[in-house]
Amino acid sequence: MNPRVPTALNPGDLLQRVNRDVERSILRARNGIRYVRGTHRPALGATPKDVVWKSGKAELWRYKGGDRRYGPPVVIVHSLVSRSYILDLRPGNSTVEYMTGAGLDVFMLDWGVPDALDADNDLERYVDWYLPRALAEARRVSGHDEVTLAGYCLGGVLAALYAAGHEDANVRNLILMATPMDFNEMGAMVALLREGRLDPDEMIDETGNVPADALYSGFYMLAPTTEVAQKATLLENLWNDQFVEGFQAMATWSRDHVPFPGAAFRQLVELLVRQNILMTGSMPLGGRRVDLANVRGNVLNAMAERDNVVPPPAVEPVMELVGDPARRQELRLPGGHVTFGTGSSAFKHTMPKLTGWIIDHSDPLAEAPPSGAADRSKFTEEQHGDSTN
Amino acid sequence: MPANQPLWLRTVLRVERAIGEPIESVVHSDTYFDLVSTTTRVRRRVVGTAEGVSRRCLHLLNLPAGSDIRGMRQQLARMERRLNELSDDVAELDGNEPPPGVT
Repeated sequence: MNPRVPTALNPGDLLQRVNRDVERSILRARNGIRYVRGTHRPALGATPKDVVWKSGKAELWRYKGGDRRYGPPVVIVHSLVSRSYILDLRPGNSTVEYMTGAGLDVFMLDWGVPDALDADNDLERYVDWYLPRALAEARRVSGHDEVTLAGYCLGGVLAALYAAGHEDANVRNLILMATPMDFNEMGAMVALLREGRLDPDEMIDETGNVPADALYSGFYMLAPTTEVAQKATLLENLWNDQFVEGFQAMATWSRDHVPFPGAAFRQLVELLVRQNILMTGSMPLGGRRVDLANVRGNVLNAMAERDNVVPPPAVEPVMELVGDPARRQELRLPGGHVTFGTGSSAFKHTMPKLTGWIIDHSDPLAEAPPSGAADRSKFTEEQHGDSTN
Repeated sequence: MPANQPLWLRTVLRVERAIGEPIESVVHSDTYFDLVSTTTRVRRRVVGTAEGVSRRCLHLLNLPAGSDIRGMRQQLARMERRLNELSDDVAELDGNEPPPGVT
């Protein structure tokens, strides 16, 4: 007997099921029309914030929200290829919101959308020009001498180079989230750029940047048919407002890439991809050699176990190369490159563990309310309670 | 795959994987990357040749071509970049900006 077919369905259950299906069909029709028309889109990056510093397209945001109970401030450095609102996707599903709610003083360094004016931005421009100035402002407005610097994806490379290349960086904690170190392990993402295939200039358009479409195509080709599965799952869950909202938010972000500044792209291809230079432990930058072992603070290497954009083997060498060996820690999280920072898995694993680690390596502020101590132990417990990931 | 999914959805997901996996192995192969590289190069060469021909025709009539406009926009962007750098330098000299902290 098939266990999925009920042997006897009483009239009450049957009526309830019919009611539910009718109700869902109505909701499906309503949400389907909204989806096709593109109305009722969720608010993205909605956590309230102030712009505290701006230069060119780069902006430093300071998030508002709960009491700031811990210092130093957390400055998130976003990647150069995608939009930063992935870490603040929507209310209730936002790493930034989670961190501010836990009492951290969170800043985001957003690079904006590069255009022809940014074509000459090289890695030095980011590491030696934007980062020092943005972090000086974060220190000034927060009243702390130190920062916790968290880099996501390529933002992690910039953060590590800054922390290693500036004696006065004052980075107490360096968090590298899905940060590639060994580009030989990056697989399909960089395969087109290997020696003998495309030269960087062949991907750069008339604005002097790599167009956002080219970057989107790169990500799309990692799994070209999954969109079918995603759309089918959406159809099944179209009655569920929350699911549709989450789907729309994610779909918007995954198509919302930004152009990659040409000068930085040339360096990325030549040094990071072709020479795999980070694996030597140092890199030439601005006429000097930046040694990754010179990072003085605590280092947390956070990686997603099912990341197919920056796979774990590309991230793992952080544990051998960045900072003082005695101050390195590794955090393996479930999920992929994107679900790393958003979604139910992130809410359950990434957000509490990252926040817990940061609080563990921060100081309670002098004027912190007594409840701060309770929160500290809560996040610490969550972090250490589940050591399997 | 959750058991509470309807049969149609489970079927779609299975079919998607059955088709998707071989496609992924093709688009992640060296042959595919070599093909994309060659196609991109050929396309750029064809576009470049066509642009060259049309540019010469337009120049014969003393008209600017798209590449002239593009070149001019690039020069303007370069100039604006330089102006921005200079105004940043001036702002820092005036003490309007926080100390850079560059060592």
